[in-house]
Amino acid sequence: MDAIRTEQLTKKYDLGWRKGKLLALEKLNLRVREGEVYGLLGPNGSGKSTTLKLVLDLVVPTEGSAWIFDVPCSKVVSRLHVGFLPENPYFYRYLTGAETLEFYGKLCGMRGATLKKRIEELLDLVGLTRARHRRLAGYSKGMLQRIGLAQALIHDPKLLLLDEPTAGVDPIGSKDIRDLILRLKGMGKTVLLSSHLLAQVQDICDRIGVLNRGQMILEGDVQTLISDQRRLSITVQDLPEAARARVEEAVRATGASIVSVGHPQTTLEALFLEALRKDQRREGEHD
Amino acid sequence: MTESAIAAPSMSRERVGFSAHRVSVIAVNTLTEAVRQKVFILFLLIGLVFIALAVFFAQFTFGEQMKFIKDTCLGVISVITTLIAIVGTAQLLPSEVENRTIYTILAKPVRRFEFLLGKFCGSLLLLLLSMAAMCILFAAVLWIKEQGMIRELSQSYVGESPAAHVEAQKQIEQIQTEVLDVELVKALVADLAKATLIASVTLLVSTFSTSLVFNVVVPFMVYVVGMLRGTAAEMWGAHRLFMAVLAVFPDFGLFSIADEINLGKVVPWGHIGQIVTYGVARTLVIVVAAHLVFSRREI
Repeated sequence: MDAIRTEQLTKKYDLGWRKGKLLALEKLNLRVREGEVYGLLGPNGSGKSTTLKLVLDLVVPTEGSAWIFDVPCSKVVSRLHVGFLPENPYFYRYLTGAETLEFYGKLCGMRGATLKKRIEELLDLVGLTRARHRRLAGYSKGMLQRIGLAQALIHDPKLLLLDEPTAGVDPIGSKDIRDLILRLKGMGKTVLLSSHLLAQVQDICDRIGVLNRGQMILEGDVQTLISDQRRLSITVQDLPEAARARVEEAVRATGASIVSVGHPQTTLEALFLEALRKDQRREGEHD
Repeated sequence: MTESAIAAPSMSRERVGFSAHRVSVIAVNTLTEAVRQKVFILFLLIGLVFIALAVFFAQFTFGEQMKFIKDTCLGVISVITTLIAIVGTAQLLPSEVENRTIYTILAKPVRRFEFLLGKFCGSLLLLLLSMAAMCILFAAVLWIKEQGMIRELSQSYVGESPAAHVEAQKQIEQIQTEVLDVELVKALVADLAKATLIASVTLLVSTFSTSLVFNVVVPFMVYVVGMLRGTAAEMWGAHRLFMAVLAVFPDFGLFSIADEINLGKVVPWGHIGQIVTYGVARTLVIVVAAHLVFSRREI
């Protein structure tokens, strides 16, 4: 069963009297399989958020249909298994972190000890246990994103829709969210996320779809899409200089050409995180 | 981060119909939000100050003093509840859309009607709460005034003849009757019905408009037209088209029974029942209309 299925899904926004209509999404045929992490990519205004809104029945399609676990999206029951984190989420600023989760939990029919236990677990999961009694007005952007994730998970949904889940979050928070998504995948959850961060999408998504001007222009398995079948890379460690010359010679002898030889690079993110870890260790030693 | 949070047991999946629980959760949250808004506190404070000031009015006869206090306090309660009904309801939906909090709520298994009804009930809770606060102060003012008048009266008859004492006792009983006036309750019930109706009109307007100014001005105009409906009908009742258009506007003049009460008239409970029925019926129709608009609205 597909977690999400759309057929010829089209959305035109009315721009007002005598201003015509804006085509936000055109004949989208999307299939998100159960248990996979699907990345929806595209520049601003490409139709990513509109797709999520259509799936959540926040806007009505001009043409076409959408289903969540084979239930039409127009039915409330389709959202029983869905958790949603909007882009730059806003919550009630006068509520504390714990009260926010309580509010959303109650909306999902949870109450009593079950809800309290779930709130504790989720606050721990997103690292906000110490800020649980602080009002959201005093939360940073990263903290709001994390409480947003917690509210999306409150009723243990099978499908998560995440709109730019790491927008405005620092690299550590971003890595935490990435790790969390991978763990959710390990638990059998389906995740549909939209993002601008291509490196992150590459790390966590099984499949991606690229939208541009409301149309799907590229879709497929991430590993298949990014691998260059004509090239091969072999990474070796502690290779003596003389041996390297012999390897290069052997390659040329087959008629193949060497495109590049060099030291593999780490990512800036990995470098940043490693530096912070070292610094924290040093601080710990001083203490 | 713990694994158990991700692997938490699934919630009960069978509830998909209308849920009064979800409505109450949204209503309580709406009330919390409104109570923390400065504009609401300001309106309520103004109302409370005006009611409290009535206790210092000490001119004319005892009867006239009581009449003035009742007249002033009922008027203040009526104005403040109308203002709270309009301003408190006008920003409910636009602020949810503008702040995008509505996305996370409607992404849950929450019906739009439940959301709308929850917001409206929250607004009514706010009205009840503010009215209760003003009524408590009104009762306190009447009690303070009553005690003052009785004390003053008793002192003025010290050393007088037994016949004068009998007269004083009669006056004290009259003051007590004036304070424990059930007609005041009738006026407050009618006022609450009126405020509920104007709140529903505001809710309807806010389902298709995102402008706070529009959402305040239009219901206020509807209220003014509704107040003048009776007079207009008397003047231009012969014009059928005019009367048909006028019928769309709720007759807010029906709810103004405070003047009659202050003139010493007794308003029968049956009449209050009719007013309340009219207000509730109109409110229900308007809430259904608001639902029809909101259910089709793109967010």
